[in-house]
Amino acid sequence: MSEYVSLTIDGAKIRAPRGTTVLDAALDYGICIPALCHLRDVTALSGCRLCIVELVKDGRSKVTTSCTLEAEEGMVVLAHSEKIVKARKNIAELLVAEAPNSKAIQDIAVRCGVKKVRYPFRHNNCVLCGKCVRVCKEIWQSESLGFVGRGHNRHVALPYNTRPEYCKHCNYCIDVCPMTIVPCPGSMKKGEEFLCGQCESQLSMAANAPDTCVMCELGAGFGCSRRHT
Amino acid sequence: MTILECPPTVDLDAAKRILQARSGNGQSELIEVLQDVQRTYRYLPEEVLKLIAEQLDVPPIEVFRVANFYKAFALKPKGKHLVTVCMGTACHVRGAPRFLDEVLGQLKIKPGETTEDGLFTVETVNCLGACALAPVVILDGQYHSHMTAAKLRKLIQAAKKADQQATEAVRLDSVKEFNDYRKQKAEAQKSRTTTVILSSGTCGQACDSLKVVEAFRRELKAKNLEKKVALRVTGCHGFCEQEPLLIVEPKNIFYCRIKPEDVPEIVAETLQKNQIIDQLLYTDPATQQKIVHENEVPFYKAQERVVLGQNKLVDPCNIDDYIASGGYSAFLKVATKMEPEAVIAEVKKSGLRGRGGAGYPTGRKWESCRKAKGTPKYVICNADEGDPGAYMDRSVLEGNPHAVIEGMLIGAFAVGAEHGYIYVRNEYPLAVEHCRIAIQQAEKLGLLGQDILGTGFSLDIKIARGGGAFICGESTALMASLEGKVGEPRPKDVHTTEHGYLDLPSNLNNVETWANVPSIINRGAEWFASMGTRHSKGTKIFALTGKIRNTGLVEIPMGTPLRKIIYDIGGGAPDGHKVKAVQTGGPSGGCLPEKMFDLPVDFEALTEAGSMVGSGGMVVMDEDTCMVDVAKYFLTFLSDESCGKCVPCRLGVSRMLEIVTDITHGRGTMEQLDLLRELAETVSLTSLCGLGKTAANPVLSTLKYFLPEYEAHIKKKKCPAGVCRELIHYTIDKKECTGCGLCVKACPHHAIVKQGKFCRIIDANCQKCGICRDVCKFDAILVN
Ligand SMILES: Cc1cc2nc3c(=O)[nH]c(=O)nc-3n(C[C@H](O)[C@H](O)[C@H](O)COP(=O)(O)O)c2cc1C
Ligand code: SF4
Ligand code: SF4
Ligand code: FES
Ligand code: FES
Repeated sequence: MSEYVSLTIDGAKIRAPRGTTVLDAALDYGICIPALCHLRDVTALSGCRLCIVELVKDGRSKVTTSCTLEAEEGMVVLAHSEKIVKARKNIAELLVAEAPNSKAIQDIAVRCGVKKVRYPFRHNNCVLCGKCVRVCKEIWQSESLGFVGRGHNRHVALPYNTRPEYCKHCNYCIDVCPMTIVPCPGSMKKGEEFLCGQCESQLSMAANAPDTCVMCELGAGFGCSRRHT
Repeated sequence: MTILECPPTVDLDAAKRILQARSGNGQSELIEVLQDVQRTYRYLPEEVLKLIAEQLDVPPIEVFRVANFYKAFALKPKGKHLVTVCMGTACHVRGAPRFLDEVLGQLKIKPGETTEDGLFTVETVNCLGACALAPVVILDGQYHSHMTAAKLRKLIQAAKKADQQATEAVRLDSVKEFNDYRKQKAEAQKSRTTTVILSSGTCGQACDSLKVVEAFRRELKAKNLEKKVALRVTGCHGFCEQEPLLIVEPKNIFYCRIKPEDVPEIVAETLQKNQIIDQLLYTDPATQQKIVHENEVPFYKAQERVVLGQNKLVDPCNIDDYIASGGYSAFLKVATKMEPEAVIAEVKKSGLRGRGGAGYPTGRKWESCRKAKGTPKYVICNADEGDPGAYMDRSVLEGNPHAVIEGMLIGAFAVGAEHGYIYVRNEYPLAVEHCRIAIQQAEKLGLLGQDILGTGFSLDIKIARGGGAFICGESTALMASLEGKVGEPRPKDVHTTEHGYLDLPSNLNNVETWANVPSIINRGAEWFASMGTRHSKGTKIFALTGKIRNTGLVEIPMGTPLRKIIYDIGGGAPDGHKVKAVQTGGPSGGCLPEKMFDLPVDFEALTEAGSMVGSGGMVVMDEDTCMVDVAKYFLTFLSDESCGKCVPCRLGVSRMLEIVTDITHGRGTMEQLDLLRELAETVSLTSLCGLGKTAANPVLSTLKYFLPEYEAHIKKKKCPAGVCRELIHYTIDKKECTGCGLCVKACPHHAIVKQGKFCRIIDANCQKCGICRDVCKFDAILVN
């Protein structure tokens, strides 16, 4: 069996090592599929659903997340079809209404074409992307953090809400958290939230060329290769 | 404030004993251990959780997560009296929210909290499986049906006041021994000429059936009739509204709503003198005629009771009944005369599709599990039945557990599985108990275990109790829960038939699906396929509840029109009301208006109309039901029950709820309706699992068929059905009011005063609890 597979994403022919996910393959080729909960080297959570794509097979298409979809020979994937772009925009709108106080989430919203937020802002401190939980468990093998509670009670917590003695104090959880990226100068104060429109260039870039990189801050978090090269 | 009753330090001995009894399997025992701890301590003390983590070798954060995920677990001590209020669909429609608010106000707590004095805890559940008796409340383990705000107030006061005062083991080793055993048991049954069949499932027991059973035992003994008359205590027969039911065979005489006092008369008149007692007969509400025989009751006559009909033939706690009526012969046929492939081919040919919701072809599922690599394989029965308003799985498991076990045996033989699990929700104690007894009896007889009846085939079945989480009915979440983890779904890019429980091939089917299998083998695929429509074969059980005359379980061939179910079987709405809509499929389904009642009920037709067969809940609504409130109800349910893992479902549902709440409070705008629609589509397109993917159905279907109701809330700020509290107020009709003053006494909020000859409501004080309306004998209290 060959070490590589070739597939088509948004019309571009791409080669990827066997076993990579469609999302990683796309990012490596500079096709930006927005993503929040994705982190290389840890198990996919498949929670943010921003990375959705259409998988076209036998004339039928199925919507699935590219972070859990393994690239296969001959696969045809649409990451920016009209349907996907619209749904993704709606998800991003939900997210930014939840956490307008994060530069990373604001960037994602802009990148996904959100121009107006139609929900009351909620100002949460966590978007439940699960990055901290997974790096703690899978990279540091510490399991000091976990998701606790169900549905709208879901939150990240320490066992019995106290820091366990086996926490390694590595602070990696804080490093990966999209909420800790330094806020942009625009106002994100509680009660004064608005969708950050200061980065005009970002907005127009996102509007005119939907799959271009807007240099979002999150790139640093999920290892988007564009950002660092 | 009084001090809580619990000791300051927790005694760990009981926990150690529990752990000792269940050690060895690590995390997969976790939920069972927690269930036992919860029962013993009434909550999960932190010390005990730490001990469990240590002993089972599970990371503390995992134990903490599991303890927080399932509703059955409490991390704080619970009150001495536990009030469990059902907020299922049927109970909701019949007014549960109103008296819940009332009792919460009375005790000054929120749901799930305990009063300061540690006496009362109020909890809500999504369906206790007694929907026909809705609204239902459990106080300290005792079911109370047809609850009202006033009744509940009294119950709580009474509880407060009370406080102030202070089978032989034989093992069968071969097919021949089994056949001899069956003959012997069938003979034994024939020796008694008359059989009295009493239904005593959960609904029966809520109507005091146990006392009737007691009375019969006493009376038969006193009259020395024990040798002649057999008493068979069975599970639910489906006509739950008329419980407890009694059938005298072989004459097929049918009595309903029996009270313990009636028993001596029944024995003396009907059993000894062959006389029929008129006042115990069922009266057909349509014709006012008395009906003598069970098979003439219109409710039963229009049905095709392939699965449910077996319930009256067996005492679920007695395997001999099942064997004597031909049980386990389908399994024997399969194990001795058929190849696994032939069994799969037969099930495929029958066209059986999963009864758990999605309608996936059962034969195809079995085939892919058979072909999957990896051993051992598992068969699992999904009895989580989380849909509020559906209870057929409870009824089948409770009333005829052996049919499910036999179905699982056949399935296990076909897919090559060695182990089985029945995953039952903890809210069904009777079903858990009957299943446990059934498995024990089958094991004793050698019908489960190693080398069954010398055929070389082995299967063991264990019971796992769910912890009160709707999402655990979803296949991947269920399997995670079986492994002792929190029940969160995973993406289904890989099927559970290949990588399921413990990453091994696992075949999951619903209770009703399994229960259909033995008849298919016995009576043939053609017989099964002869019932139903082109793509949906066989019969399906529906739980008919809500604003309808005959509530209960109905089993009908697929393709039966809704109209026939609602009017011919259900008898239409009671008391001159008019049926407006029917909600099918529970939280994943939708509401269909009366003009669509000619729709044949099958998987395709309902889905196309924007609803679903789903679990088989069928809640009938009349003009007193507000469709916006129904949408709000389901969204609240879904937002509570979403696991919270993925964004569209967690945030999308909560935002939809926010919008619909705005509308019911009179703050909605027409633009919000467009946003609601757009959001609903995104949620269904992008959610991870079936819960989110179908979460929009209640909203989309009500928007589609009942748009004028939404518009009335938004534009006129009116709730046409008079349900949405913020948009209604109570007044007294002076024409009808006699000034009797009953309402003045009844109102707990001092909001009614007597003024001259009439009573008057003080708007500022009125909490809209509706107690006054319940007590007024002259219909003088108006809502508008
Ligand atoms: C949120 C959710 C809840 C479910 N609840 C149940 C349930 O309570 N009982 C059930 O049998 N199936 C339930 N299902 C369907 C199961 O995932 C699964 O499809 C079914 O048990 C398979 O059995 P079947 O093929 O016999 O229908 C649920 C699905 C979802 C998405
Ligand atoms: S704390 Fe940060 S990293 Fe962790 S789940 Fe929340 S947003 Fe993600
Ligand atoms: S759709 Fe809802 S229940 Fe399903 S995984 Fe997502 S959050 Fe959990
Ligand atoms: S990156 Fe794929 S779901 Fe979040
Ligand atoms: S018992 Fe209340 S809805 Fe089922």
